[in-house]
Amino acid sequence: MSRSLVLAVILLLPFVGSLCAAMLPRNARNGAATLAGAFALATAVLAATLYGDVSDGGVVRAGLAWLPQWGLSLSLRLDGLAWVFTLLVSGVGTLVVFYARYYMSPADPVPRFFSFLLAFMGAMLGIVLSGNLIQLAVFWELTSFTSFMLIAYWYHRGEARRGAGMSLTVTAAGGLCLLAAVLLIGEIVGSYELDDLLAAGDTVRTHAWYPTLLVLLLIGAFTKSAQFPFHFWLPHAMAAPTPVSAYLHSATMVKAGVFLLARLWPVLSGTDLWFTLVCGAGLITLLLGAVAALFQRDIKGVLAYSTISHLGLVTLLLGMNSALALIAAVFHMMNHATFKASLFMAAGIVDHESGTRNLKRLGGLAAVMPITATLATVAAAAMAGVPLMNGFLSKEMFFAETIFASANPWLRFGLPSVATLAGVFSVAYSLRLVHRTFFGPMSQNLPREPHDPTRWMLAPSALLVAACLLVGIFPARTIGPFLDGAARAVLGSDMPGYSLAVWHGLTLPLIMSVVALIGGTLLYLLLYRRRDGALAPAPFSKPLDGKRSFDVSMVVLMRTADRLLNTFSTRRLQPQLALIVLAAVAVTTYTIWHQRALAHSIVSTPLNPTFALLWVVGGACAIGAAMQAKFHRLAALIMTGGAGLITCLTFAWFSAPDLALTQVSVEVVTTVLLVLGLRWLPKRLESEEPDRGTWSRARVRRMRDAVLAVIGGTGLAAIAYVIMTRPRTPGIAEYFLTNALPEGGGRNVVNVILVDFRGFDTLGEITVVGIVALAVYKLLRRFRPAPESMPLPRAQLADGDGFSPVPSGDSLPRGTMRVPAVLGRLLLPVAGVISVFFLLRGHNAPGGGFVGGLVLATGFIVQYMVSGTLWIESRMNIHPQYAIALGLLCAAGAGVAAWLLPGNFLTSLEWHAALPLLGEVHLSSTLLFDLGVYLLVVGGSTLILIALAHQSLRSYRRPVETSSTHVRPAAPGEGSQ
Amino acid sequence: MTGDSLPAWASIIAAVLLVVGGLCTALGSLGLLRLPSFYARMHGPSMGNTLGLGCVLLASMLLASVTSGKAVVHEVLITVFVVTTSPITAMLLMQASVRRPKVPPAG
Repeated sequence: MSRSLVLAVILLLPFVGSLCAAMLPRNARNGAATLAGAFALATAVLAATLYGDVSDGGVVRAGLAWLPQWGLSLSLRLDGLAWVFTLLVSGVGTLVVFYARYYMSPADPVPRFFSFLLAFMGAMLGIVLSGNLIQLAVFWELTSFTSFMLIAYWYHRGEARRGAGMSLTVTAAGGLCLLAAVLLIGEIVGSYELDDLLAAGDTVRTHAWYPTLLVLLLIGAFTKSAQFPFHFWLPHAMAAPTPVSAYLHSATMVKAGVFLLARLWPVLSGTDLWFTLVCGAGLITLLLGAVAALFQRDIKGVLAYSTISHLGLVTLLLGMNSALALIAAVFHMMNHATFKASLFMAAGIVDHESGTRNLKRLGGLAAVMPITATLATVAAAAMAGVPLMNGFLSKEMFFAETIFASANPWLRFGLPSVATLAGVFSVAYSLRLVHRTFFGPMSQNLPREPHDPTRWMLAPSALLVAACLLVGIFPARTIGPFLDGAARAVLGSDMPGYSLAVWHGLTLPLIMSVVALIGGTLLYLLLYRRRDGALAPAPFSKPLDGKRSFDVSMVVLMRTADRLLNTFSTRRLQPQLALIVLAAVAVTTYTIWHQRALAHSIVSTPLNPTFALLWVVGGACAIGAAMQAKFHRLAALIMTGGAGLITCLTFAWFSAPDLALTQVSVEVVTTVLLVLGLRWLPKRLESEEPDRGTWSRARVRRMRDAVLAVIGGTGLAAIAYVIMTRPRTPGIAEYFLTNALPEGGGRNVVNVILVDFRGFDTLGEITVVGIVALAVYKLLRRFRPAPESMPLPRAQLADGDGFSPVPSGDSLPRGTMRVPAVLGRLLLPVAGVISVFFLLRGHNAPGGGFVGGLVLATGFIVQYMVSGTLWIESRMNIHPQYAIALGLLCAAGAGVAAWLLPGNFLTSLEWHAALPLLGEVHLSSTLLFDLGVYLLVVGGSTLILIALAHQSLRSYRRPVETSSTHVRPAAPGEGSQ
Repeated sequence: MTGDSLPAWASIIAAVLLVVGGLCTALGSLGLLRLPSFYARMHGPSMGNTLGLGCVLLASMLLASVTSGKAVVHEVLITVFVVTTSPITAMLLMQASVRRPKVPPAG
């Protein structure tokens, strides 16, 4: 496999795995875990094979031009930094899947969990591997979304829903800011490619937009990495299952923000603004998180605030504008991922085995869970920065950097002091976490009897802890080359010298570490003595409570939206229509006002009195329909039908038999369906005693509407008149007329346009037909008419009252209905034959799939009308849904068939041959397409018909006490639902 | 197709048929408008219009056959369909009226 292909496979594998996992049955616990683990492991192994290509500063690229003219392409780029993160994401992902197999309860629907976990992994890899900034922003939002689904995995818990909603709101809003920043960068650099951007650092930094884009980008990064003032969502996201916290909220997703800062470090850093903003946020977060972590009750709360604090540390390092600080930042990102993920896993184990995560209730678990206790202690030691752990190394680098950060005297002494102070708190909360959980007096009354879990559940945590120790003891030999490659990918050739060693001699950073260790121990002892482990709320937590401001701003946002909606929107149809017509009239008048185009009119057709009379009748029908629409719906509908018939006659008059045919069938089907629907509309509300005021107001309103309608109608008529009386400009009509036969192979130009030249439009339209029919069916399924709008249908009255539905034993109704039943039944085969006739001849003569479909649908309508729903459905299996699906398949299949030959989608294929007996046969793929149209029209119309017909079998909703059981008479043929 | 190519006898017969057909249809429509009760009104269109349509179809058959020089009888198909379908409509309408719940006119 070529390198670029491997890269593409690395990105695709998790998504494929996610799809596969989603298909598994609900209880496939082992299956889903095995599948997810295999996919994650395969991704990690594939990523590992690419190490040779990036270790010496090389870059692997893969790309697919999508919209190259807009600078948009799918572009993957793997360098040293991306490689380290790819391995981190896939490696920790594998361990977390392994861990989750034992953590998740058998009752949980785990395929959903693993599916989203893999999707998240893919999205995260997308961020890491993106070589295009827009693409990066897309994957960025994708991680927000998948993390939302993962946090809300136990969606029956309110806190999970709230936490998920908050994290989505915060991080997705940040993602929008990031997108804005990316667009600004694209404008400045002229390209969204990362390579171009990395080469244009000076242009960006000196550009006038630099402050704006920096602030926007930092909002994006800070929201994702939970930096002050956006840190508040992370503790609330702890409602997620613990494997999710171990993966997303320690190792990967929260690292996306700082990863982005490191990625764009060569471009954006080096300015005072960068230093102020990034260092400032990092410093505040570092201290705030460390202090707050000391005062948490929940183990995961401690870990969440500690994560916030450590991310603050990384941000602080990134903001220092120094190459060594960047190396320290990348190093600490890796270290933090290992020890924090293993700590989260330990927290999950404690929760899993003892039933609680409350530090106040836990204690002395080391006696019963020795292995877990050992692992957690080592990991916590790494978190605290104890020597011989990986955390110690990166923390020492951090201390060293704070000393040399700035020449400014305030910063020169302030920064190291604050860093040491944060270190003190960090040691204190680590100590507290371990001590309160595993040591001290043995806890009583735990929900479960704690003991070490199965070895397999401990294995992932143990592997991570082993990594902590190995890196801590032999840094240069284990992590050295990888760190070097990652740093080289950011810094390029000018790498500063640094040394990864446990012992550098008695230096100032070492003294700071020792001070932090001793100070932290003393602080914890002090708190432990005084207030039983300090379970009071953290100091300053009230004014800095981000959740409160978040909630307040959400409420304000909702209220404002409601108010705006109430002011500027209405749910009534009439004002909306009036506004639309008014706007159309205004725009058209404004456009026409400046043109004297009306002068060119020519009149070519002499007025025919018969035709004029026809139109007078049609116009009268239309006006009558408009006037009766409010008072007598049926009359209005009939008159609409009259106007429609006049339209058909007009088409026929001007030699457009195709249009006339189509229009007639459409009129018939729509009128019948509308009449069927009319029955369920509520009665018009007559006010009891219309007083003079309302009456005159109504009159004024109607006059206003009438004026508006007349203006709109006359305007439209005038425009149509002007356009149609102009000398015809050469348009596409000639093209269609000349090419219909040679290229489309049909003499019926209208049909050739529909199924061939504009086949793609038609495909879209029939899809809409199908969707509309399904929507009508779905909406009406739950619809029950209001009791006052109709009496109970006779079919549902117990006594029958003279009503005689066709007994299911008889093939024909008795009495007077026998004649129409016989005649109507005779019509169905005839309608079928005619419809197929129209379908087949459509390509060369008036007809086509649309008309044919409507004819057959009319046949079905007649059956329902003369025989009744019960009778029909007990005898015929009518499945309009199948017809719709088959129709779409036919139409799309006809389009795809063109790919067999080198042709574009929907190019028509033809086959012309002379066969014995049959004579000349002409087959074209457009016939298949037309068949699709036919089936869709049949299916769509019949489905709507059935939806309406089933209404008459249903009762209205019963009053409240029995509202849960709807009276639904069992229709024998309701299998079609 | 212009009047010049037609022999006079065919033109005259066709014209008479068309006029009679038109009158029948007009009569049927008038009946629909003027007759007093629903059941009486049913007869107007079902009788008059069917007769009128028959005349028009005969005229059409005659003209088409004379013009093309052979018997053109497509219109028979139309007649069959009209004869089949219009009773369905009429009977369904009448059944609906028969079964309609008799409520005293409101207000």
